[in-house]
Amino acid sequence: MEVLYSDVPSGVGSKGRIRLGSDDERKLLLKGARWAVEHGMGEESDLEKTESGGMIDGADPSLISTKAYERGRSQQGTLGSGNHFLEIQYVDEIYDEKAANSLGLFPDQVTVMIHTGSRGFGHQVCTDFLEVMERAVGKYGISLPDRELACAPFSSPEAGDYLAAMRAAANYAWANRQCITHWTREAFMKVLGRSPQSLGMGLVYDVAHNIAKVEDHVVNGKKMKLVVHRKGATRAFPPGHPELPAAYRHIGQPVLIPGDMGRASFVLLGTEKAMEETFGSTCHGAGRVMSRHQAIRKAKGRAIWRELADRGIIVRSAGRETLAEEMSEAYKDISEVVDVVHRAGISKKVARLRPLGVVKG
Amino acid sequence: MPTPDRYETLDIPGDAGIRAFGSTLKELFVNAATGTYSLMTDVRPMAERETALVSVEGHSIEGLLVAWLNELVFRFDAYGFAGKSISIVSLSPGDRDAAEAEAFSLSATVAGETFDPRRHEGRLLIKAATYHNLKVENRDGVWTAEIIFDI
Repeated sequence: MEVLYSDVPSGVGSKGRIRLGSDDERKLLLKGARWAVEHGMGEESDLEKTESGGMIDGADPSLISTKAYERGRSQQGTLGSGNHFLEIQYVDEIYDEKAANSLGLFPDQVTVMIHTGSRGFGHQVCTDFLEVMERAVGKYGISLPDRELACAPFSSPEAGDYLAAMRAAANYAWANRQCITHWTREAFMKVLGRSPQSLGMGLVYDVAHNIAKVEDHVVNGKKMKLVVHRKGATRAFPPGHPELPAAYRHIGQPVLIPGDMGRASFVLLGTEKAMEETFGSTCHGAGRVMSRHQAIRKAKGRAIWRELADRGIIVRSAGRETLAEEMSEAYKDISEVVDVVHRAGISKKVARLRPLGVVKG
Repeated sequence: MPTPDRYETLDIPGDAGIRAFGSTLKELFVNAATGTYSLMTDVRPMAERETALVSVEGHSIEGLLVAWLNELVFRFDAYGFAGKSISIVSLSPGDRDAAEAEAFSLSATVAGETFDPRRHEGRLLIKAATYHNLKVENRDGVWTAEIIFDI
C-alpha cells in the first residue's frame, strides 16, 4: 500500500509523474489510452478491454482553452480526491460462475479497482463551455427552469464544439486510468518481484462513468440515433452488442460498480433489458446518505483508519478529512443498491469484491 | 445592524457550499474568496510570497461572482496558488447600481503562496463554482451570497 500510495499521486495539490509538452498533450487528447500504451504504459490487450478502445473519435484539441491545457498538464496520471480511489480488493463471492470465468475472475482472487476521471482538465472544459451554452440559450431562445442548466440544439456549432471538447476530456480520462493502471502493475512488481504477466494482472474492463455518446437505440419500435448522457450512471450493453470486445460479446458488457471503502464493490454485466428500459444503462455507485459535514461530525473522536485496520483494510489518504467524509456510513449499502438493479434486470451480478487496501486522495 | 461573520460553510449532501457576507460588494467578494479557499486548504499558516493580479468579467453580479471564484479555483488547481490576503482594486458597477447593470468587472490583487502538500493541509478538490441555487442579495445593508461548488 505504501508503494501504491507513493507511486500513484493523489490528493489536493498532487502533481503527476508525467510532464506533458503541448504537442504531447494534444496527441493524448486525440488518442486517449492508446497514447499511454504507445508510451510504454500498458499493453495492446488493455485497449481491447476498454470502452471504445480507450479512444473516442471526434475529439478536437483546438477547441480546448489555454486554461484547460494548463490545468491538465500537471494532473495527467493523478488519482484526484473525494470519492476517487485506488483499491486492492479480493473476490469474495461469485454469483455467475460461467460469466466470472469469461472475465477471468475466481474466488479469493486479488483484484485492483481504479476510480478516477479527467481531473481538472475535464472540469475546466465544463466551466468554459457553460459560458458558451449560456450565450447559446439566449441565441436560440430556449427557456430553462434552473440557471445551473445549460444547453444548445445538437446540430448547432456550439453543441458540436462542446461534443468535440468533451471527447478530448474523455480521452484524457482514459489515458489517466491507463497510466495509473501501469504504475499499479509496476508497484506490484516492485514489491512482489514478479512481472504483471506472471501475476495475471490483465485488465478486466475500463468503463466511463460520466460521458455523452451518440448511440443506436430502439424507440417505439423504431431504430434511432440518440445522444445518451450517462452521469451518475454506467453503460450496461447486452450480449451481442457490436461495441463489446470479442472476448465479452457472448456475456455482455462488464459493469464496474464501486461501493464504499469499508464494504464492497461489484462486477455486473449489461443486459438486453437495460437496452429496452434504460437506454443500456445501470447505476454508478452507492450514493451518499450523509452530507460531508454530517460525516465529519459523526467521525469526530474516531480513528476511521483504525476501525478499518481492525477489519483488515489498510487505508492511506492525503486529506485529513477525506476518510471521515468517505467512511462507510456516509454511503448507502452498495449490496442493496446492486440488488435493486439486479432484480430490475438492467444488469446482473457476477462478483462481489471486498477491499483489502485503499488509497484515497 | 452588525455584519455577521465573514463566511460560513453550508451543509449540502453531495456538494460543498459557502454563505459569505459583506457590508459592501467588495467585502462580499473578498469574503467569498476567503471562504472558497477555506474549503480547499488552510491558508492561515501560508505566507504572502507572490501577488497575482486577477481580472474577471460577468453579465450579472452572480455571473461575476462565479467567474471570480472559478478564476481562483483555476489558479489553485493548475498552479497550486492559494491566496491569503485579497484586496479588490476595482469592482464596477458599485453597490448602488448592481441590480440594473449588464456588464460587470472586477480586478483584485491576491497575495499568497504555492500549495505544498508536505507543509499545507489539503481539504477538498473543488471542480468549479456553480450557478445552482446561487444567491447574491442585499438585505438591510448587508450583502449575502450563497455559492454551491461542484466537487
